[in-house]
Amino acid sequence: MGEFSNSSGKRKGYLGALALIAILFGLYWGLLQAPADAFQGEVQRIMYLHIPSILTAYLSFFLVFVGSCLYLWKREKRDDILAYSAAEIGVLFTALTIVEGSIWGKPTWGVWWTWDARLTLTAILLLIFVGYLMLRSLIEEESRAAASAAVLGIIGFLDIPLIHMSVYWWRTLHQPPSILRPDKAPWENIHPAMLTALAINFVAFVLLYFYLLSHRFRLGEMLEEIRTRKLRRDT
Amino acid sequence: MGPWGFVLLAYGIVWGAIVLYSLSLRRRYRRAEEELVRLRESEAGQIRAQK
Repeated sequence: MGEFSNSSGKRKGYLGALALIAILFGLYWGLLQAPADAFQGEVQRIMYLHIPSILTAYLSFFLVFVGSCLYLWKREKRDDILAYSAAEIGVLFTALTIVEGSIWGKPTWGVWWTWDARLTLTAILLLIFVGYLMLRSLIEEESRAAASAAVLGIIGFLDIPLIHMSVYWWRTLHQPPSILRPDKAPWENIHPAMLTALAINFVAFVLLYFYLLSHRFRLGEMLEEIRTRKLRRDT
Repeated sequence: MGPWGFVLLAYGIVWGAIVLYSLSLRRRYRRAEEELVRLRESEAGQIRAQK
């Protein structure tokens, strides 16, 4: 067990070091190497945070979806711990996406916030998963909390395709995607240096995400062991 | 605020929030580790006392 913990700790250490290197590269490319945008100027550099943040949040809520489905099917605690851990970090990245978008929106659109379809659906996504975390702490019975949260996690994930398609379905202020476009490859649409900055920052965010998730998952496992041991002690 | 002001504000908030979250996660992790050690030791003590 000790050996397993040590090797797992080492893996987490390598992951953390890799994430840190990628973050530093991302900062260098995003702030210094990539050129300023022809129309938006320097504020476009916020996109090197904004796009990786929301894609990481989507990844996180996908893991909530997978963990929740598996938990409802098999009732295994580790699936619930995965969903809970991913939801917590997903909330962080969604909140950051909204803040970054708001800071970018002020000089570009002239407002900090507007009730645009994509922005509103992203705010709803955040509220659903804040509700998910509140639900976990409000219901005392562990298995009932996990099952209710799993249902909410699955419903919450269904908001993501709506967010992605909202710019096509409604007339919105938010521009259509530059990366995930059905008609053009990213390299046909974006300057190579900008695409490189975006790619490095995306890799950095994903590495950072898995580093945080591995720690949050282990914390979840420990909290579960504490709960089980306390239950056994008190009965 | 100039364009670089907005850029630095966004980068500052994002990396500041991520550092704060990492620190809070580390604190919760350590607290859980300590509690687990305490619980394991008290269980081991009880088993020894029963013997």
